Amino acid sequence: MIPALPAGLLLTGFFLVPIGFIIFYSFGYKPGLLSSIGVDRLSLDRYGEALNDTFLLTFGNTLQIALLGTALCLFIAYPFAYWLSHHVASRYRSTLLAVVLVPLWTNFLLRTIGWQIILSGDGWLSKALMSAGIIHQPLNILFTRDAVEIGVVYNYLIFMILPLYVVLERMDPSLRQASRDLGAGRLRTFLQVTFPLSMPGVVAGCLLVFVPLCGDYITASILGGASANMAGQLVAAQFLMAQNWALGSATAVVLIIAIIMTVLAAGAGLAIVTAVLRAHRSVTLPGAVN
Amino acid sequence: MNSKDTSIPAIRVLAPTATAMRLSRRGFLGGMGIAATGALLSACAATPGTSVAPAAAAAPVQLGTELNFFNWASYDDPATVKSYTTKTGVNIRLDVYNSNEEAIAKLGAAAGTGGYDIFVPTGVYIPQIAQAGLLEKLDHSKLPNLAKVDPAFLNQAWDKDNTYSVCKDWGSTGFLYDTKVIKRDLKTWSDFVDAMQNEASGKTSIMDSPNYLAGLYAWRTGMDWTSTDAGFLDDVEKFILNDVAPHINAYESYPGAALAQGKSALMMCWNGDARQGLMAVHASDPERYRWVLGAPTTELWMDNWTILKGAKHLDAAYSWINYVLDPVVSYKELQFTGYNTGIAGLREKAKADKLPLSEMIFFTDQQVATFKSGALNSGTDRLVQILTKAKAASAK
Repeated sequence: MIPALPAGLLLTGFFLVPIGFIIFYSFGYKPGLLSSIGVDRLSLDRYGEALNDTFLLTFGNTLQIALLGTALCLFIAYPFAYWLSHHVASRYRSTLLAVVLVPLWTNFLLRTIGWQIILSGDGWLSKALMSAGIIHQPLNILFTRDAVEIGVVYNYLIFMILPLYVVLERMDPSLRQASRDLGAGRLRTFLQVTFPLSMPGVVAGCLLVFVPLCGDYITASILGGASANMAGQLVAAQFLMAQNWALGSATAVVLIIAIIMTVLAAGAGLAIVTAVLRAHRSVTLPGAVN
Repeated sequence: MNSKDTSIPAIRVLAPTATAMRLSRRGFLGGMGIAATGALLSACAATPGTSVAPAAAAAPVQLGTELNFFNWASYDDPATVKSYTTKTGVNIRLDVYNSNEEAIAKLGAAAGTGGYDIFVPTGVYIPQIAQAGLLEKLDHSKLPNLAKVDPAFLNQAWDKDNTYSVCKDWGSTGFLYDTKVIKRDLKTWSDFVDAMQNEASGKTSIMDSPNYLAGLYAWRTGMDWTSTDAGFLDDVEKFILNDVAPHINAYESYPGAALAQGKSALMMCWNGDARQGLMAVHASDPERYRWVLGAPTTELWMDNWTILKGAKHLDAAYSWINYVLDPVVSYKELQFTGYNTGIAGLREKAKADKLPLSEMIFFTDQQVATFKSGALNSGTDRLVQILTKAKAASAK
């Protein structure tokens, strides 16, 4: 029990208590223009207000951006993590990993605004591409979904690389050698040995990217302008602009539930696919499961 | 804590004037940027006392060494702050907010224990803030430079006799457009809407602020933009969702500050923000962007110096307000922010100096006659909902 105490305190102080406040406030109301929250009479009314067409539309938008962003991060991070863990001499690995981490030392917001400058139609990238004759019109990326995904990949890639690198680096090379000795080609070795073994890293990476991304509205609002409206913005607008903490809290709770349900649905889908694959493989390769 | 409480002279070190110009009056981003700079700074300057100013030079009153601002982002010339600190030995620390509502709610929750001395609310909010008991009554004998303020900007309807506030600066709202994209003359809010729906569709930004939705709807015909009538708000919603939202590429309150990035071709903005942007791009391409003051009617706002109840540095707070009311200092502030500070004689001085784009700072009497003040009222909640819906509609 004792070793769990610090973790328990941390979880209580920084997670359970704040989330308890959010849930409690979501039953309150906004008493007047100059006050943000009243909890002397509680009701579920704010949930009725929070669950409207705007929320559904915005959450749909958020899911699209977050799912695409997570997939892009996975496709870019996997080859890199694989290369880093299998093809780079171990004495250089930590240096390279440190280099990957360097951008994190700069403030998130500043990094994102930096991309605004790079991607703008009057920016240096646009001018360079035009003078090289690659494009003939000024770059028209800023304030589009493309710009958002560029920002997402840039801001979140590292959270995909790290867990993938950890599982791939620990993977025993002899397993892949065994696969090849038994006649599997490179592709089959990857699909049936390396990739399944790296699934914990893939799942961890996807969660680390997808969940914060669903709540992030800064990347989307800076690079996407009006073309990318994220659910986090709804919450922020209620807390900051309207000063309506009750409605903001209710929106936040609905958002949390929606994200949990999405993750659970994805997890269930993954479990089904895995079960089907196992059943299938246990027929063709008896005794080779696990 | 340090990421919020930022010493202004130090910002100047990290953000040269050019950058500071681009940081904005009420910018969320500007504010966050400064907060970030503060965080960086606190990481670098770990030694306490490195940013402490020279010892107070023979000051008549003991002002102390500290003054805490609660203000809009980048709303004072860093050079002014630095010269004040050099003169008095008082270090100014800044915490920023993005809207009156946010600031008032924070101050209300802290009930005088927030540690702030100076607060800069917009005029129409002052009666409610004062009623909530958040403001100190001003002792005019400690503000001799009050005599320097043009009487036109004293005794405003929302604070008769300047009991709680003194004008910091005032301004209005209009728009900027890119003549490369819009090749005709725009003159009114109706022209703005027309260009937005045609050549600037998908390249237009409007303020990220709920009340301006009602403004855009009402200013075109001279209607009351502060109405709380349900029918009026329904009309605003219909207009914004059907006629405006599909053409918007950004909800941005400081488009002028980032004008050089060329993000939008048509931008609703405050006059000072627009002027900062034009000053920044003028050297390279003076003809490209054009400023239009909203017509037939548009906004009038005035931001004001106030001292908060429970301020721990009262003398320093008075000395700061008196300092910036000095015409010489005020003229510098005016050049930095691009807003009229309301001090008598500055219009004439600017004219004599041929101050560039001064027509964006000083308005004619005929123009001022078309300006209408905003209001803090029960319509704001509904307008926030409309803004949220509009953003969802723009993202479709």
